[in-house]
Amino acid sequence: MIKLLRILAALALIGVVVVLLLIFLPHHLTEPQEDLAADWTPEEGQGEYAMILGDCAGCHIGADGTPFAGGQPIDSPLGPIYASNITPDPEHGIGEFSLDDFRAVMYDGVDEEGHDLYPAMPYANYRKLSERDIRGLYHYFMEEVEPSSNEVTETSLMFPFNMRFGIRMWKWVALSDPGFEPPFGDEVENAEMLNRGAYLVEGPGHCGACHTPRNLIFAQKGFTAEDSEFLTGGVIDGWTAPDLRQEGTQPQDWDQVEMARFLATGRNAHAGVSGEMELVVQYSTQYWTENDLLATAAYLDEIGHDVARESDAEDDVPSLSEEETVTLLGDADPEMALGPRLYLDNCNACHFSDGRGAANVFPQLAGNATVTAPVPRGLVQTILEGAELPSTEAYPYKLRMPGFGWRLSDEEVAELATFVRNAWGNDAGAVTAADVAGIRSAIEDSPEGHGEAAD
Amino acid sequence: MARQDPKKDVVIVGLGWTGSILGMELSKEGVEILALERGEDRKTVPDFAYPNMIDELKYGIRYGTMQKPKNSTVTIRRTLDETALPYRHLGSFLPGDGVGGAGVHWNGHTWRPMENEFRLRSYVEENWGAEIIPEDMQIQDWGVTYEELEPHFDRFEWMAGISGQAGNVNGEMIEGGNPFEAPRSRGYPLPPLQQTADAEMFAEAARAMGLHPFPRPGANASEAYRNEYGMQLGPCNFCGFCERYGCINYSKGSPQTCVLDALKRKPNFQYKTNSEVLRVTLADDGKTATGVIYWDEEAGEEVFQPADIVILGAYSLHNVHLMLLSGIGQPYDPATGEGVTGRNYAYQMNGGTSMFFKDVDFNPFIGSGTVGMSIDDYAINQIDFGAEGFIGGSYITAGRANGQPIRGIALPSGTPGWGAEWKQGIGEWYGHSMSIGSHGSNMSYRDVYLDLDPTYTDKHGRPMMRMTFNWKDNDIRMTQFMKSKIEPVAESMNPDLMQSSYKGDGAMYDVRPYQTTHNVGGAPMGADPSTSAINRYLQSWDVHNVFVMGASAFPQNIQYNPTGAVGALAYWAAEAIRKDYMPNPRPLV
Amino acid sequence: MSSDVPSTRDFRPTRRGFLQGGAAGAALTGLAARARAQDAAEPVPLDQYEPQFFTAAEYAFVLAATARLIPSEGDGPGAIETRVPVYIDLQLGGDFGQAADWYMEGPFQPDADPLLGYQSPLTPAEVYRQAIPVVEEFCQNRMGAGFADLSPEDQDSVIKALEQNKDPLSGSDSGAEDTEVVESGAGGGASGGSAEPATSQPILSAELRDFFSLLLQNTKEGFFADPMYGGNYQMQGWTYIGFTGARASFKEWVDKHDVPYPLGPVSISGERA
Repeated sequence: MIKLLRILAALALIGVVVVLLLIFLPHHLTEPQEDLAADWTPEEGQGEYAMILGDCAGCHIGADGTPFAGGQPIDSPLGPIYASNITPDPEHGIGEFSLDDFRAVMYDGVDEEGHDLYPAMPYANYRKLSERDIRGLYHYFMEEVEPSSNEVTETSLMFPFNMRFGIRMWKWVALSDPGFEPPFGDEVENAEMLNRGAYLVEGPGHCGACHTPRNLIFAQKGFTAEDSEFLTGGVIDGWTAPDLRQEGTQPQDWDQVEMARFLATGRNAHAGVSGEMELVVQYSTQYWTENDLLATAAYLDEIGHDVARESDAEDDVPSLSEEETVTLLGDADPEMALGPRLYLDNCNACHFSDGRGAANVFPQLAGNATVTAPVPRGLVQTILEGAELPSTEAYPYKLRMPGFGWRLSDEEVAELATFVRNAWGNDAGAVTAADVAGIRSAIEDSPEGHGEAAD
Repeated sequence: MARQDPKKDVVIVGLGWTGSILGMELSKEGVEILALERGEDRKTVPDFAYPNMIDELKYGIRYGTMQKPKNSTVTIRRTLDETALPYRHLGSFLPGDGVGGAGVHWNGHTWRPMENEFRLRSYVEENWGAEIIPEDMQIQDWGVTYEELEPHFDRFEWMAGISGQAGNVNGEMIEGGNPFEAPRSRGYPLPPLQQTADAEMFAEAARAMGLHPFPRPGANASEAYRNEYGMQLGPCNFCGFCERYGCINYSKGSPQTCVLDALKRKPNFQYKTNSEVLRVTLADDGKTATGVIYWDEEAGEEVFQPADIVILGAYSLHNVHLMLLSGIGQPYDPATGEGVTGRNYAYQMNGGTSMFFKDVDFNPFIGSGTVGMSIDDYAINQIDFGAEGFIGGSYITAGRANGQPIRGIALPSGTPGWGAEWKQGIGEWYGHSMSIGSHGSNMSYRDVYLDLDPTYTDKHGRPMMRMTFNWKDNDIRMTQFMKSKIEPVAESMNPDLMQSSYKGDGAMYDVRPYQTTHNVGGAPMGADPSTSAINRYLQSWDVHNVFVMGASAFPQNIQYNPTGAVGALAYWAAEAIRKDYMPNPRPLV
Repeated sequence: MSSDVPSTRDFRPTRRGFLQGGAAGAALTGLAARARAQDAAEPVPLDQYEPQFFTAAEYAFVLAATARLIPSEGDGPGAIETRVPVYIDLQLGGDFGQAADWYMEGPFQPDADPLLGYQSPLTPAEVYRQAIPVVEEFCQNRMGAGFADLSPEDQDSVIKALEQNKDPLSGSDSGAEDTEVVESGAGGGASGGSAEPATSQPILSAELRDFFSLLLQNTKEGFFADPMYGGNYQMQGWTYIGFTGARASFKEWVDKHDVPYPLGPVSISGERA
């Protein structure tokens, strides 16, 4: 008994020591990935462009629209995490940061006082940024951004997630090696373009943060295409972030120009951007150069998986072919089932009986990644609340779909969603009224509340 | 005392089609622009969203997208000795309201006037002599030619996403298009719409009689489309709720679908809603405008908005009203025939023949604003005015716009308006009738005009505008001619029943039933400052920094729906302002 | 011009389902036979409806009058089955009744040429309120009973007189139509006036002269407007003529010429028939 107590006491002591070490041991910070001269300065616009690639504005924009003033909550299962003020204000922003401090944030998720940052900040991906882009970003934020004295609400998550030393432990497991390794050698045609695409996707674009599944401790399952699960789909804000690699589904099916158009304008011949990706287009990808968009598209095309994955969704709903669906809807038979009837009464006006919508205007539902997503939240939320495309330079129209949540009961939404998930050759699991009810209440509970009033 | 706001380079009155176009074009010069719209802001979603827009009572009957007479209306009389009375609730015509203006609730008919319509007086005098022009008729040339406007028609059609079939591209005749149209530099941006049964039946009958049917051109997109501003249209789904409604489907060309989200991105463009311009303020010498006074509804006060250029882009009637209230141009006096502001108001002379087919199912609720087939065989350039005894012409057309039941179900004449027989009649005939319509010109006359009413005032205490309008023999002869051409076509289709409705001798203007919202003239354009209010660039002759857009510029009404010409004139004027006026502000003529 | 005006059709008079609005009315039209996906709450029967605007007497008149304007007999529902009186009550209590959108400043010339449009100083609600007692008085004087208690034939004759706004027994300059009204009225048991005035008198003053056209227009609105406005109960008005309501989606059907569209209507709220 005493022995046992001794062992327990020893373990407790070790635990305390580990915690103390976690708290007080200085961080080992990642070195610059390239030796640049101390007086190296970025070309004009390079820093701003690196900021655009990294989509810093998407999260750090102030609530009143002040650039980089911070304060917007990023929803996490543990509570809201508030984006910090990253303007050069010395007191409320990052004005006192040295270049090394800044690099530590970007690479290691450690702030200038040695605090570990929550991984809502995607340093796990930014670790692949080049030193030139780090220096460019630092220059941009220090020299080109107006300081703002906006004081951001302190993030306070529930215990034990407010114990930041836990993040340090998490990082040991969750972070990959720093630095970007070009995956394509000279023997590959187009290697330079593909490597640029790989850099953009793995590094600043941090596509993996949403589009890669996470493990039990919420670590991203893979950071490069060598990892078979990299970019094979994740969940963000309850929505499926689609698998970008699976053949036979969007967006792998799109040709590269359509993929680039989607990123540039939020719309293409098949789809309209929705969910969190809307912000990515709005603040980031619409401003990417055409070469970078095409490089991204080429890279994503290159890393597609040849073999279709087994769907893990329970699917007991028979799938209708495109022809069967078109006939069913076109006949307008009063005896038709509720699902297709609801489609005719609510959706057909824009998406049409062939489910093809209209290029760049009304998204195609056949093969649509949001429609057939394993987690149907995106589809159901879109039916309930509608969706809006962001205004972009080339395609300025904020095309908006109205919400139908006020018009349809949970049962009706479930019937409708199940129908579109299994029409035109779509083959995805049924949606239940309980699913819809859960999504309705999740939307109501979210900080933004209703996206659209029932008017 | 009015609040004074910081000066703008350009202030635009009204944010409908012309205000949006001028905003877009002038913003390219980097000037600071403010558009003042007296109505509400309007976006496709939520304001026109399915299904709430599909409400016949609210929008078709109670005019939810239109201006409320309580806020703005006119008084109307038919003759000079009648007392004009307020147009208390809407009927004969439906001016729009809010952002997008009438561009929200139109059907989308987009035509180019015939070449001879732009120089109608010269055309008549050259071919038949001035003596065939009735004494009280005041038709005039426009001061601008079709050839000059052609690139601007093209611009508007490609901006608004017009579906249609060209008949004459640079002189080359194209099968299936309108063989009588003026040459165009290229075809329409979108192919014609699919056609409804009535349109096909009419076209077949017309073809069999040697006439030349072609698809009616219009701003209902037949396919997805993106215009020069990057704005987008989706394909029309023939919902049957076009005229009087905002488009649920991003399918109807409108300021919303074709301009506004692109315009709102311009940092040098701003707009304010619920801001009604009360008058244009003039410099002491009256030769330039200094800005506008408007009522800021939100602040509850009058505001003086200084500006270097004032664009009147309100509805035609309101442009004229503002000019009369502001002292821009000498008011027209019918006693002397002198004065220009308010001169040459005109309307549109329409008629139609209904046909009933017991055994044909027309599915009348399937329709769009502009679906249909037309003929121009009796157009204004095809008629021997001397021989027929009238000046004018019509296009003739069939196509299904809607099957909304409150707005009316065509019933054989003699069917009672209520009771058991009415009920039986609607059950029997709904979906079994169609009509062929004529849409014709309306000339301008000495005693048809606009001025300020001596009695009635609006909610701001300003004199209301008075409309003096009646039908005239020349135009009644024209529409009776069309009846004589349409009825044989209709008869050849072998309907079970048919009946006609065309204005006859002595017809008096009736303000109650809806006729058309093609109120034109009142600020006619022209080459002669004694008979026109604005010059060929839509610039006020008297106040050179005021430009007046819209159909108020028409010296008489064309045989077509006006929007095509309104759009072309807006682009034409915008180019003149950008390239000629802005570098050197002065009278351009 | 075609002279093929159809002759008066013989219709099958049925017992009026006067106060049976609601599900019973739906059953009459066969609508209830079609499977309905929604369980709409049964509305209060018309005879128990508590008007928002009308007094009990006004409501009784409107029930009886609309039942003649769109009778229950024959094919299709009537004003009663479609709950038109409820619609009119709600409209008059709302913006329409108050002429909220209209220009209602004086001076007024209510006796102006009708072609110059509505010129009464009264709102639609005021027109109903003031006209109904005049019509009831007319019925009492001429036919010895209130409108609702007259036979359907007599009610029709009163409505025809209202449509002309001419007292059929008051004038000598009446044309053939007026003669018909007199005959119809007499057949219904009207007590003929003993002394005919020299000229026919309007039943309603100039300020009220648009009453009939308002009533008829509002009745047809209540028959065909979206059910959310209180009438067109279960979309029976739409179903009867084959209108699809708020479907608004037919791209696939434009080219299907002369094929009846088979599917019933949908309402703005999503009600299906």
